[in-house]
Amino acid sequence: MLMPRKVAHRKHHRGRTRGMTKGGSELHFGEYGIQALEPGWLSARQIEAARVAMTRSIRRGGKVWINIFPDKPVTKKPAETRMGSGKGNPEFWVAVVRPGRVLFELSYPDEELAKTAMNKAIQKLPIKARIITREETI
Amino acid sequence: MSETILVANSGRATGSANSRRLRADDSIPAVVYGLGMEPLSISVDRRDLRKAVSGTSGMNTILDLSVDGTVYPTIIKDVQRHPVRRNVAHVDFIQIDLEADLTVWVPVRLEGEAKDVISGNGLVDLSMNEIEVVTTPRNIPDEIVIDVSEMTMDTTITVGDVPLPAGVTATADADLPVVTVLTMRTPLLDDEDAAAEAAAEAADGEAGDDAGDDTSE
Repeated sequence: MLMPRKVAHRKHHRGRTRGMTKGGSELHFGEYGIQALEPGWLSARQIEAARVAMTRSIRRGGKVWINIFPDKPVTKKPAETRMGSGKGNPEFWVAVVRPGRVLFELSYPDEELAKTAMNKAIQKLPIKARIITREETI
Repeated sequence: MSETILVANSGRATGSANSRRLRADDSIPAVVYGLGMEPLSISVDRRDLRKAVSGTSGMNTILDLSVDGTVYPTIIKDVQRHPVRRNVAHVDFIQIDLEADLTVWVPVRLEGEAKDVISGNGLVDLSMNEIEVVTTPRNIPDEIVIDVSEMTMDTTITVGDVPLPAGVTATADADLPVVTVLTMRTPLLDDEDAAAEAAAEAADGEAGDDAGDDTSE
């Protein structure tokens, strides 16, 4: 699973996820992409599940790009612990996503199969997302 | 290279709220600059702009931008889109000298079927969807067509190999790959194999479901 090799701070504040994505809303590598329509946290496990669903679905090759990286640690206090005694331990890593962010890109010759694969990946995500292509008009 | 006339309105009120009102009126806020002129805030009709760039040259169409009776030969420099709705929020037009060289991105289109690659279980991969070229405005090609029918599993088409029209030069390094061949990890399945595998998967799924039912009971 994706996670940083080393970090400056082990524990982060939760923060707020307001507004739209500042960048990364265009396709740069592949022919198709999965674009987030809601803000949210995507855990490394969810990103991996989506990637696996996509690569298993495209049997005849193709190329997948992951455009997001889970670089935010999420802490959790152990079960049945009294409040206090400091912040909990880092449990997993998430990528903070805002609406408009392209999460994955895919290059594949068959459009129908590519879209099926991406729909399977979208089902693994905790947010609403859609498939985008390079064809755009004014 | 085609030239199209596009009528623009000058004297628009700038600022995000005013721009939002313009967009609601089906206009697009824009700016025109270049060749030493003072940047001019303008607005263009969305439908007119769509019509203007819907020709074969697409976004590289030379637009004769008519602002208050003055015509500026321009080209679209940048387009800003809404990240979710994908509609155009703002356009930058740059005034050009029709005789001077200019740098533009031209889309690449692959032609032909790479039979050797398909039989070798490979995949033709376009690494660069657009190539940056230097040329005069009237010589801008609509697209760069690359024939991949002669490609084999070992072939890589680089920028230097791409056939460009006369008077057009690519700015990128000649060794940079444009089209490569990817080797697939999974072999190609013919229809019979695919059907057999699907049946096997379905059988596994049913067995798994049965096992699940047993444990739940």
